[in-house]
Amino acid sequence: MTNNAIKNFWANLKREKLLAVTNIIVITVSFLLLGVFLSIVFVSQSTLKYLENQAQVTAFFKDDFTEENILNVKEGLEQDERVLQIDYISKEAAFKLFTELNKDEPVLIESISADILPASLEIKTKDVDDLATLASELAAVDGVEDVKFFEDVVEKFKSVSTVAYIIGIALVVMFLIISYSVVLATLRTTITSKGTELEIQRLVGASDAYIKTPIILQALFYGVISGVLASVVLVSLGIVLSGSGLFGNGLLVPFLPNTAIPFSLFSAVISVLIIVSGIVLGYLGSATAVRKYLKY
Amino acid sequence: MSQIEFKEVTKKYEDVVALDKVTFQIDRGEFVFLIGPSGAGKSTLIKLLIREDVPTSGEVLFDNINVSLVEKKAIPELRRRIGVVFQDFKLLDSKTVFENVAIATEVVGCPDDVKCELVPNVLNMVGLLGKKDRFPYQLSGGEKQRVSIARALAHEPDVLIADEATGMIDPQSSSEIMEILERINLLGTTVLMATHNDAIVNKLKKRVVKMDKGAIKSDKRGATYDE
Repeated sequence: MTNNAIKNFWANLKREKLLAVTNIIVITVSFLLLGVFLSIVFVSQSTLKYLENQAQVTAFFKDDFTEENILNVKEGLEQDERVLQIDYISKEAAFKLFTELNKDEPVLIESISADILPASLEIKTKDVDDLATLASELAAVDGVEDVKFFEDVVEKFKSVSTVAYIIGIALVVMFLIISYSVVLATLRTTITSKGTELEIQRLVGASDAYIKTPIILQALFYGVISGVLASVVLVSLGIVLSGSGLFGNGLLVPFLPNTAIPFSLFSAVISVLIIVSGIVLGYLGSATAVRKYLKY
Repeated sequence: MSQIEFKEVTKKYEDVVALDKVTFQIDRGEFVFLIGPSGAGKSTLIKLLIREDVPTSGEVLFDNINVSLVEKKAIPELRRRIGVVFQDFKLLDSKTVFENVAIATEVVGCPDDVKCELVPNVLNMVGLLGKKDRFPYQLSGGEKQRVSIARALAHEPDVLIADEATGMIDPQSSSEIMEILERINLLGTTVLMATHNDAIVNKLKKRVVKMDKGAIKSDKRGATYDE
């Protein structure tokens, strides 16, 4: 019966070449749009995550607080699980930065020396929500003269990025539903167009397996071929974008702390998702559509 | 012993009673006309026999097997023993006459050599061997119905059911179809034919089961349409 099913599957495919090509094009385009859309949403979420990670607290130290003491504070903070990154900016480094920022104002540069500028620690947290607490904790640390933390900006960014995350997830879910619906509708239409043939097969005594196996094979074929074609395009796109250096440091994974993956790996993951979708949708779509012709 | 037996069969579709305590038997090799107006219950009766549907109560027996209790996986086997010819032919326009008949052999996994021997035989029986490569749209209504009969015969069924088989064809073609059905019956196949065609019933003078409003009104041998 398996040989018969494969034979019938090939016979159907050869007889319906144009339909097969059309189905593969429609499903490939749906998968491709899904892949591109997922990539856009992921990249934008990753960018938000990157910007979020740039928010920092700066603790300025008193002039009489020695570099050794500051480095001790730094060492203590490095043990803190909330801290993502911590940089020590010495008086000299601060002056160098100041000089660079004000290179067009020589009078201003001449009037200031490295001694005037305070040494500081710039602290980034894994979670932007921890910035405010950390800022107040730092203010109480011995030797700290001032703590700068752009609370308003961070709060505003937090609310904007939360909305962007929610919209991103909603769009992904919506586009998954749309593209999956298009694929399922395409497969169902193909099967419904064979309704009379399936009905006749049933009336002349065909077993359920005889009727449904070629249909399921055909739908799986459409799903897998389309998934592979869409994946080839997406992976190629991923390789080109990775090569361009646009995502040189990789993409930060939203909801995972400090985790970055290369763009090409991201494309590969999306491709696997699409091929698996092709297999699952092909099987489920055809098995459920053919069921109505097998009712007794 | 009866080949087909309906015992107190009732079929309801929600509040509509399609069959009401129908009881009758058909012996092996009989030719039976099932007559009555539209909605009398003829098609429902046929559906129950080929297990397209199950009765609300009562039993439908085929060779002493309760058809409604047949397991799902055994239904195809039952349908191979009961050939059905429909009013609307149920042919595939994209397949030739040969291919349309061959469907019946393919579904049981017949090897190609058996198919190539069997299909021409049944096409010869209905007088269409010369048109085996034609498509349905190239045939008359009567010829299409003959293809449908050939397909039903491919399994060498014990029973042939003709559901309004002459309903969409001209009198001359109807007459040819009846000749074929009679010939098949003479070879030992039981024939059950649901029809509105009084001329055919009157000409053949076979057993006539008359139905109305889901019940059997009369059951006579050698009868005419209005008896």
